[in-house]
Amino acid sequence: MGAQKKGGGARVSEDAVEQSRQRLQAILLADSFATKFRPVTLERPKVLLPIVNVPMIDYTLAWLESAGIEEVFVFCCAHSMQVIEYLEKSEWYSHPNLLVRTIESHKSISAGDALRYMYEQQTETSQIQGDFVLVSGDTVSNMPLADLIKEHRERKKKDEKAIMTMVIKQSKSSPLTHQSRLGTDQLFIAVDPLTKQLLHYEEDKVDHPSGSVCLEKSLLDTNPSVLVCNDMQDCYIDICSPEVLSLFEDNFDYQHLRRHFVKGVLVDDIMGYKIFTHEIHSSYAGRIDNFRSYDTVSKDIIQRWTYPYVPDINFSGNRPLKLGRQGIYRASDVVQSRSADVGASTVIGYGTKIGNGDKISNSVIGNGCSIGSNVVIEGSYIWNNVTIEDGCEIRNAIVCDGVKIRAGAVLQPGVVLSFNVVVGRDFVVPAYSKVSLLQQPTTEDSDEELEYADSSSGTADHLSGLNLQMESKASELGPDGAGYIWEACEGAHDEEWKHSVAPIPKDKLFEITQAIDDDDTDDESVVPTSGELKSDADSINTDVNDPNDDYYYFEKEVEGTVLRAVEENIKVDLVTLEINGLRLSYNMESADCAGATFYSMIKLAVDTPHNSASELYKNAASIITKWKELLGFYVKKIDEQIEVIMKFEEMCQESPKELGPLFTQILHLLYDKDVLQEDAVLRWAEEKAGADEADKVYLKQCETFIQWLKEASEEEDEDDEDEEDD
Amino acid sequence: MHPAVYKVGLQYLSGDISGGNARCIAMLQAFQEVVKDYSTPPEKTLNRNMAAKISSYVSFLRDCRPLSVSMENAIRFVKNRIAKLPITLSESEAKAALKSDIARFINEKIIGADTVIVKHAVTKIRDGDVLLTYGSPTAVEMVLLHAHELGKKFRVLVVDSRPKLQGQLLLRRLIKRGINCAYTHINAISYIMHQVTKVFLGASSVFSNGTVYSRVGTACVAMVATAFRVPVLVCCEAYKFHERVLLDYSICSSNELGDPNAISKVHGREDINYFDGLTNNANLKFLNLMYDATPSDYISMIITDYGMVPPTSVPVIVRECQKEHNCFESPKIVI
Repeated sequence: MGAQKKGGGARVSEDAVEQSRQRLQAILLADSFATKFRPVTLERPKVLLPIVNVPMIDYTLAWLESAGIEEVFVFCCAHSMQVIEYLEKSEWYSHPNLLVRTIESHKSISAGDALRYMYEQQTETSQIQGDFVLVSGDTVSNMPLADLIKEHRERKKKDEKAIMTMVIKQSKSSPLTHQSRLGTDQLFIAVDPLTKQLLHYEEDKVDHPSGSVCLEKSLLDTNPSVLVCNDMQDCYIDICSPEVLSLFEDNFDYQHLRRHFVKGVLVDDIMGYKIFTHEIHSSYAGRIDNFRSYDTVSKDIIQRWTYPYVPDINFSGNRPLKLGRQGIYRASDVVQSRSADVGASTVIGYGTKIGNGDKISNSVIGNGCSIGSNVVIEGSYIWNNVTIEDGCEIRNAIVCDGVKIRAGAVLQPGVVLSFNVVVGRDFVVPAYSKVSLLQQPTTEDSDEELEYADSSSGTADHLSGLNLQMESKASELGPDGAGYIWEACEGAHDEEWKHSVAPIPKDKLFEITQAIDDDDTDDESVVPTSGELKSDADSINTDVNDPNDDYYYFEKEVEGTVLRAVEENIKVDLVTLEINGLRLSYNMESADCAGATFYSMIKLAVDTPHNSASELYKNAASIITKWKELLGFYVKKIDEQIEVIMKFEEMCQESPKELGPLFTQILHLLYDKDVLQEDAVLRWAEEKAGADEADKVYLKQCETFIQWLKEASEEEDEDDEDEEDD
Repeated sequence: MHPAVYKVGLQYLSGDISGGNARCIAMLQAFQEVVKDYSTPPEKTLNRNMAAKISSYVSFLRDCRPLSVSMENAIRFVKNRIAKLPITLSESEAKAALKSDIARFINEKIIGADTVIVKHAVTKIRDGDVLLTYGSPTAVEMVLLHAHELGKKFRVLVVDSRPKLQGQLLLRRLIKRGINCAYTHINAISYIMHQVTKVFLGASSVFSNGTVYSRVGTACVAMVATAFRVPVLVCCEAYKFHERVLLDYSICSSNELGDPNAISKVHGREDINYFDGLTNNANLKFLNLMYDATPSDYISMIITDYGMVPPTSVPVIVRECQKEHNCFESPKIVI
């Protein structure tokens, strides 16, 4: 009895030891791997941008510290030096309860890369010991983490496969703009209401303007009930088990935490890993993802939803401001003219001077700014050491450190002025323009890279070139101004208003309402978004469920295989094996293989240099003769042969000049080489007989050939009959 | 029991219909239905029989939820009309006359009165005003919305209290129209009263000594406002006035008591139960009062459909009302 008791006690203490040994750790990604904050992020990393006069990373670190995290790995990528320098200067490095370590990597261009890098480091140093919290350095939150981590650990104990807990929060997405309060796209998630397991995750682009979502039927088979919501907001706060790191290592193509990793885990049922969600109700969590969320989160901070991380409390070595009525925070040494009108929800930092007759409302003004007389500032974010001369008007703009705005200048809604820009006298900066001393990178990255890549390569060069550019003073901002107005990137232009700090303009709202009305009246039209849809289709479409896309990729793969086979003279058997492999992995029919193989062969013939049609024919003939076995493997049935003819016809239609005249000849060749049987040709002709005139071009071209075939077969038939008669 | 009355009674009970005007209109409309479907039983007179019927319905409604003064006034009006119906009228004529009378009451005394009140009250709102309102009075809401439509620039502080939190509904409607609002609970009233320039309140009824009978908490708001020398304006239709005299302490006898559970629990949060295990304790009582009385000292002005009057002038309005009631009836007798 006594012994047993003792044993129990020992176990408990062991458990306790184990618990305590597992320090609460967090990985903080001090890089967003996105370009939404350009041009500002070209000069300063996003996590150091001030939000209500305190760098974003301070909010995240202060929250992690108060939530009981003991060790934070700050992963720096772009501008890593600046981040490290800042942390060294701040009190975080010497914080008694929170151990801050920095990890530097310049090669990582995405969150996936960052985590892979962590994993590699991990094998050497084994820093991450257990479950960890994964956040990005632009998170503002005050949610308690300890219980959540406990919940995660207990779940993990019961179910080995529960590797991640994702924090979500209710946030009504606007039905009008299909985006949430934070300027991100609408999010559809499906959750098991009992276990809170995440079943489906879909960030809605413009694909479903009517707000529809497709769920896999199998979800309903395995789960008794599914809760589908689109009023949730993903806080990008994840409690992860160490498996997450290794998953990233295993899947080297995972880049984005949500788009690739979460989707990958949900789709992949081989490993059977599960992601769970945790909904927070009363506490706050928000991520600053774009300028609109910058605006929203700033307002939330001013309105104290993020308490205790509010301007009048010292939470990270910031100098607390004094809170007055109507949410006006003012530093103690502000010099404010009596005639100035400072309205509700405004923050004014240390050493700032406000002149006569100024009207300021709903704005944040940093430290050391000087504002002249009769200036109007509304809904704007003015950072530190900004000079604003008399009579300026600034509405819904972001003005970075060191900017000079000369007298009478006007910033229209949505303007972003990057560091040290000078706006000339009486100059009107047009709405939504982004202005920087740095020139816009001219080498347009491809879409894919734009999403993830930033800076690591480009920025250093830019910075070194800064002085040069300063000298060749750009005068895009009036005669005495300095700075380049960035062109909005293509396609993003329409999105500009969605992500800017300015409130959504009325005409846009009207447009959208109209569009929705249109949608209601006729289902098919997607009037406002058709352009964007097209551009989506041009770029690489990641939606693997689209059968057409699949076929496209499959064809590409087969083409590559055949090309290699021809070049390296690989045996037919091996090529067949490879194509069969592709067929299985893309879930294609044998007829598709036939089409694709034939397509690649003809394409090869066309691509081989040739001077005349006869030469092209020779090329084609030689290739077909050589590889007819390969083709023959797939054209055993009549249907498959017809597919080949159709494919050929399609190709001819695409390049009528080159291939068009050769249609009959090559068809004949295929017949001669026993690739095609006469039945196939005749049936194709029959099928085509009913088609449009335009479709019949090639049918007409080979009329004589078909006629000949028909006669031949009749003769044969007659012969047969004769024989039978005998 | 007539189904329309039954339905309204249940809606009172469940709280689907609340607010003096809404309740009164719903009741009158139910009575209109009653009149429409009425047929005099043989050997009975319409006047007596219908009056008895209405009385039985009223007692049912009273069982569902105590009637407000405004409803009592309306019932008195209806009964009066029934009693005064000339015997010479045929049944269908009598029914038609009664129905149109009820419709006229709704249109003139309630809906019409509100538009007049709005017209008067808007003149009291100036640019830069900070207006405070408590709960969710319909008349005040109309005033605020109209003032906003006129382009006046003002802010609204919506003060609310548990457990009903009706102010949230008002807040939502105001914000939707783009009015700049702030929301707080009554606990903070002394803090926010500094910035307020005018207080607009609603009333369930006004008694002839000028006492305003209204949603519980109103008296508190009015007293704090008076202490801060902020004018208190009460918007109230004249049909809610009553000649009774109400002194402060007699209030509990006629007051309505709400569900005691409503204050011991937090709505929507089953996990919070501060009084766990105490609810059946004999020494503990929960008092959930629905109304309170504000003495006339704390009221600067009452805005009614007869104009803006000081609370001391209430008896005049009551008298005028009564006179009008009588005039209202006289023409038909002349005919």
